[in-house]
Amino acid sequence: MSRSVVAATLAVVALAVAVGAVAVAGGEDRGSAEGGRAGPVDEPNRRFFADGAQFAVECGFSHAARVDPIVWPGLTGRSHRHDFFGATAVSAHSTGADLVGSPTTCRVGADTAAYWAPSLVRDGEPVTPGGMTAYYRVAPGVEPTEVVAYPLGLAAIAGDATGAAPQPSGVVGFGCGRGGPVAATIPACDAGSPLQLRVTFPDCWDGEHLDSPDHRAHLAYSASDGCGGDHAVSLPRLTLVIHYPVTGDPAGLSLASGEPQTAHADFLNGWDERALRREVESCLRRSVVCTIPDSARAAT
Amino acid sequence: MDRTGGKLKRGVAVAVIALVAAAGCGGGGSDDSSDGSGGGGGGGDDTLEVPGEFDTIQAAVDAATPGDLVLVSPGVYREAVSVDTDEIVIRGLDRDETILDGEFERENGIRVVGADGVAVENLTARNYTFNGFFWTGVDGFRGSYLSAIRNGDYGVYAFESVNGVFEHSYASGSPDAGVYVGACYPCNVVIDDVVSEWNGLGYSGTNAGGDLYIVNSVFRDNRVGVVPNVGTYEPCFPQREVTIVGNQVYRNNNGENDVIDFAQLALGNGILLAGALDNVVERNRVWEHDITGIATVPLPEDDPQEVASDNLTECEGDAIPDGVVDVAEAELPDTLLWPAQRNRIVDNVVDTSGLADLAVADLGLSPTPDGGNCLSGNTAGSTAPLDLQAKAPCGGAPAAAGWDDGALDVGALIARDKPPPVPYEDVELPDPGNQPEMPDAATAPARPQTGPPEPPDLGAITVPPRS
Repeated sequence: MSRSVVAATLAVVALAVAVGAVAVAGGEDRGSAEGGRAGPVDEPNRRFFADGAQFAVECGFSHAARVDPIVWPGLTGRSHRHDFFGATAVSAHSTGADLVGSPTTCRVGADTAAYWAPSLVRDGEPVTPGGMTAYYRVAPGVEPTEVVAYPLGLAAIAGDATGAAPQPSGVVGFGCGRGGPVAATIPACDAGSPLQLRVTFPDCWDGEHLDSPDHRAHLAYSASDGCGGDHAVSLPRLTLVIHYPVTGDPAGLSLASGEPQTAHADFLNGWDERALRREVESCLRRSVVCTIPDSARAAT
Repeated sequence: MDRTGGKLKRGVAVAVIALVAAAGCGGGGSDDSSDGSGGGGGGGDDTLEVPGEFDTIQAAVDAATPGDLVLVSPGVYREAVSVDTDEIVIRGLDRDETILDGEFERENGIRVVGADGVAVENLTARNYTFNGFFWTGVDGFRGSYLSAIRNGDYGVYAFESVNGVFEHSYASGSPDAGVYVGACYPCNVVIDDVVSEWNGLGYSGTNAGGDLYIVNSVFRDNRVGVVPNVGTYEPCFPQREVTIVGNQVYRNNNGENDVIDFAQLALGNGILLAGALDNVVERNRVWEHDITGIATVPLPEDDPQEVASDNLTECEGDAIPDGVVDVAEAELPDTLLWPAQRNRIVDNVVDTSGLADLAVADLGLSPTPDGGNCLSGNTAGSTAPLDLQAKAPCGGAPAAAGWDDGALDVGALIARDKPPPVPYEDVELPDPGNQPEMPDAATAPARPQTGPPEPPDLGAITVPPRS
């Protein structure tokens, strides 16, 4: 039902407040780079608040560019087109340290990290996203008190840009509005519940490397018993929810990287170190909801 | 599962949801944390002075241990304070002159995260992008003699927190609520002697109730006054059991302030029970509202979430009552209509409302057209529908007919033009003047808020005068 229909039928109502939603993809997956451990899995969606502790940051769309400082450092134009959120000054040369203290589109000024994902394209024309919400949480199975902040400069990729096969919903998926499941294909969304892309990053670290040759091997997804093995350091589970002003027939929609199953996102940690540590220690390690993002209050 | 489109069968997710760790609606989960036991001496009951001993409030808070008092001298403090130590008290020496300033860059003036019993007193927080004063996930909280002015979300705010008090406080200029308590049941919270003006909502409380009292307070010149409300997007739904007694609620028609998206649908209403259950509204004085003085209305929630059939949290909540939708069987609709039911509205004095001093709108959602709401003993003029107190008396059966006579035309109310939000940074707010000071701020001992507060003496409260 569209908002206008709601408005026409109902009431003097104050809908207020707080938040909601976004059934976030789960994090039971294991990076396939990790020999001998289970691969990524599909996980049924669950209610936003069922996961408990979180802090979240809403970031506006910054810019689009054929730039990828993780995969193609220094090489502008080599990448497919990405939509950037967070740090506005990010370039093909950026490192995490470069970003600290720089301008950001995020509502939390200390969040000067760079977040990016392939542009959504309709019939060859890029669609400007409405914004992005970054949820920092703790995956089921991970002991909250063991979670540490990302090291400055950590590079992370979630999802497979080659899109060789449909990806697990615990890693990437498209959905509509605040609630509901995500799917590997782009759904037809109602007017009141526009399209989102949700991408969940690995949350276990080798404790040593900020990056790795394939940009993946230094990280892994936690399992039901948390982090372990070569990736024993527990990190926050970061889920990006990218909002698009897209409803209706999904025909003609694809990504700058290819078909919808090439969905992925990148994260380059440029947070103010002290502020990030404070959020992790206060909110995640103590299992408290610290932020309820506006974007989850209404489908935008 | 191949599920596309906006209509999604969500009930199947329930079993999975039930396995997931609970959000903790209230209990907090804070253990006795006292990280940072440096300058405070470590024994508790110390006084840590800012800026005497510590340059910043944050430094003093980080050094404090349970029982300590952080005593802040007048000045403008350009910081955002985060508290994670139980049972400390943060107090300003002069309420109007001890100012935390977010400068539209920082998020929260004082944020208490999972730290139980923390009290904040006699301070002003202004110009924060999120909240002035914010407690989340705590058992025990108190805000006394606080002024929260021009903050981007809420003024004084408690979420998933129980056993608390907001008192002698002032909130203006927040697009959401000046005073907010959300996601708790039972809350065990007393809101007493607050003034909330020029906000989107004077009071809002999503899914909050159960020994939650709003008394002896003033809600004026907001877009809408006092609004208990409901949604699946937060834990502890439905909303129920708030007691609203002895308040002055007036002139909540303000179109010159900031407001969150949907709250402005409610512009011009005094006490609005929106999708709210089992609340008591008694002995309030309510006047000068463009639409209604006191009303019960359904609340439409777009895009509701999967719903758990079992209790997930300590709040005994997360259930949609019978009669709203059969979640186990049905698809959740794109828009969930929450009825307002079984509210008791008695002995209020309501006048000068544009459409109706008293109103009940059920839109056919409930088994009876009154929604089980009742109204008696109110001094009121116009009602919607007509003769409402005769149609829905407390202690009597609702009238069988006549519910269309003079009923609210809610569609028309929604459709009417409303002034757009004014960015909160730019609103011309009233001068709060000299706000009451905490007595003996320099010498009063630290008093953390442990355990439930004393309930107010409701019997002693009379209808307040018109001011």
